Amino acid sequence: MSEHQEEKKEITRRTFLKMMAGLGLAGLGGMTALPGKARAAQYAGGYVAAGGQGWLPYQYNVPGDWQAQVRGRVPIDDDNPSIVRDDNKCILCGQCLETCKHVESVFGYYKLPIVDKTICIHCGQCSLNCPTGAISERSNVADVLQALQDKSKFVLAQTAPATRVALGEEFGLPPGSWVAGQQVSALRGLGFKAVTDTVFTADLTIMEEATELLGRIKGKINKPLPQFTSCSPGWIKFCEYFYPDLLPHMSSCKSPQQMLGALAKTYYARRNNIDPASIVSVSIMPCTAKKFECSRPEMDAAARYWNKPGLRDVDYVLTTRELAQLLKARQINLTQLPESDYDRLLGEGTGAGIIFGASGGVMEAALRTAYFSITGQKPPAQLLNFTPVRGLQGVKEAAVDIPGAGTVKVAVCQGMASGRQVLEAVRRGQAPWVFVEFMTCPGGCISGGGQPRSAVPPTDEIRQKRAAALYSADQRWPKRDSFENDEVMALYKDFLGHPLGELSEKLLHTEYLSRAKELKPVTVKIAPAASRA
Amino acid sequence: MAQGKAVLVDVTKCVGCESCSVACRLYNELPPEKTGAEKHELEAGQWTVVQAHTVDYKGEKVRRFVKNQCMHCLEPACASACFAKALQKTPEGPVVYNAKLCVGCRYCILACPFDIPKYEWDQVFPKISKCQMCLSRVAKNEMPACVSVCPTGALTFGDRDAMLKEAHKRIAQAPDLYANYVYGENEAGGTSWLYLTDVPFQQLGFNTGVVKKPLPGYTERVLRWTPGIAVGWGALLTGMYFYNRRRGEVEKEEQGKKKII
Repeated sequence: MSEHQEEKKEITRRTFLKMMAGLGLAGLGGMTALPGKARAAQYAGGYVAAGGQGWLPYQYNVPGDWQAQVRGRVPIDDDNPSIVRDDNKCILCGQCLETCKHVESVFGYYKLPIVDKTICIHCGQCSLNCPTGAISERSNVADVLQALQDKSKFVLAQTAPATRVALGEEFGLPPGSWVAGQQVSALRGLGFKAVTDTVFTADLTIMEEATELLGRIKGKINKPLPQFTSCSPGWIKFCEYFYPDLLPHMSSCKSPQQMLGALAKTYYARRNNIDPASIVSVSIMPCTAKKFECSRPEMDAAARYWNKPGLRDVDYVLTTRELAQLLKARQINLTQLPESDYDRLLGEGTGAGIIFGASGGVMEAALRTAYFSITGQKPPAQLLNFTPVRGLQGVKEAAVDIPGAGTVKVAVCQGMASGRQVLEAVRRGQAPWVFVEFMTCPGGCISGGGQPRSAVPPTDEIRQKRAAALYSADQRWPKRDSFENDEVMALYKDFLGHPLGELSEKLLHTEYLSRAKELKPVTVKIAPAASRA
Repeated sequence: MAQGKAVLVDVTKCVGCESCSVACRLYNELPPEKTGAEKHELEAGQWTVVQAHTVDYKGEKVRRFVKNQCMHCLEPACASACFAKALQKTPEGPVVYNAKLCVGCRYCILACPFDIPKYEWDQVFPKISKCQMCLSRVAKNEMPACVSVCPTGALTFGDRDAMLKEAHKRIAQAPDLYANYVYGENEAGGTSWLYLTDVPFQQLGFNTGVVKKPLPGYTERVLRWTPGIAVGWGALLTGMYFYNRRRGEVEKEEQGKKKII
């Protein structure tokens, strides 16, 4: 009997434990279903504070909220040829929007919905104002490195006037340090077979542009006055977008970069017996819009000259920042390099060409040569230090008395928001000027979208120092007028003939296209720049 | 406020700057944005993306950008499909996901008519990933992060009825511009995200075949029994087990008694 009793007791305990386990399982199953309902009831009762009370998804269980200064950003297309943005660096601070709207008057100046393209003039000012460096140029460093390693290629460089007063900042030198000679050595060190100077074609531009201006004034060229400068590719696209009706005012001259590109694969190739197809033309520019400019389909004068489709006048554009990256990657310290001179061919420049890099420089250079063309005399001291067109004011006006032409009124603007004041006046037929210089970037090329980010946002102090370096170079330069450039004169004698000649027109001049179909501009009311002259 | 808050997306005002998708990543501390083509597809960790469409419209090529994210249905199919109650519609409007309750069954992915919830396929214990419509902000009557950064006013936040009124007002004011349809007004029984556009919705990748009736009705009447059946079935089986056990014991005992006898 006792044996039987013991057996029964054991079974009871096991049964009990199993029952407990069963209950536990059932409870667990029920719990998965219940809490949600309980929490839903909690919701029905009212709001749950931010930070949550346990229901809110885990990622919200933190104090603090959205920063007040978050403001969005400008659209940048995935295939923008000039600028790219790293979304992982963007903090939506809105500095690009401010720049695009208020400095360049692009964003917000076209109607929505957009048509079929993202509107961008490629100036890259957003990249200078971006505090995290999220916006930068579309890099061509790898392309250039590949070209440099290819022994069958003849890689030719040209350097803009403005890079020589800013490149040093990437290597710890103070703003405005003159590093023209070191820059040439650095480029030769990188393996560039030819180092030419865009200042040379700046002088050439002046010869062409001043001749065109005189043609318009005298009525030989049936185009309206004032004539607009055409060196700044951002400005050209801006005009094509927003003021296509004023395109006849635009000088037909290509920018100095494209002039040199065209000459490199024609004149230079011919003189040196180089197959133009083996030349890789690289330009070092302070500018992101130059990347867009060199990709414009019509910029293939060499292809048309040799009848070899596919040749590009300029193959790659490197910004000042990219050149610095390239040098640092190759461990070349710019500051320890000796100074070298530019090549003998396409290398000579005058002071007039050098000041192209600062706002007002093109105007000053053009006036010097125009004075010479009209009077046959060298320009007076006033035109060698023509302060009314210098400086950082948005719109600058000046008047010069040229014997034989009377008082010539001119205007200079920087930043497209300032440019609009002049453009509106021209549109209304209230323009007293014969020649107007437009620079997309405030300060001109010296503060272009591809320049070192020595201060973010860029400051006027740095702009002034860089401009001052250009003007002091002009001051000490042996030749200060474009018409004194012997190499330019030789070029005309041996190759081009004369300014606005047949070959010049073919290689150095271009046409513009209206982009009116790409956007519907917003009608803006801008007070025209009052004529003080 | 009967239907909570809503966001009105005006496709005609979008310039494709993708401020919204960056804001989403910053506010919700999502992993770094993908690059290339993947950047424009909803994925785990990418709750909202902007897709560009270049289409022929009225004989011209036009480009439009469409912001994609959870539509936050008024009666969400995902929530009704979720037996773990990890997805719920809040009275404020957002359909929120609570990862702590999720068992990873992916029923919501199958249930969603807009193909929104994404699965963390690369995780050991994967979760669902989808827009939460910044509930903690919306609950304070603040706009979601994406809306707060839109520089062109393409996104507008407010009560759903007010947003619907606004949408119809815009259509009435510019009948030549807008297509006379508010996407989301009736789709899947209505959603908390509403879309206006000029180009027909079909051409912009919208699923225009979504039923106009609320979806949960179809599933709820079956799936609501799931907890009951799960517990009841277990209880039934447990009961049967004990019944059989007891019967066996009684049989054994009676056999023993017979032996003794």
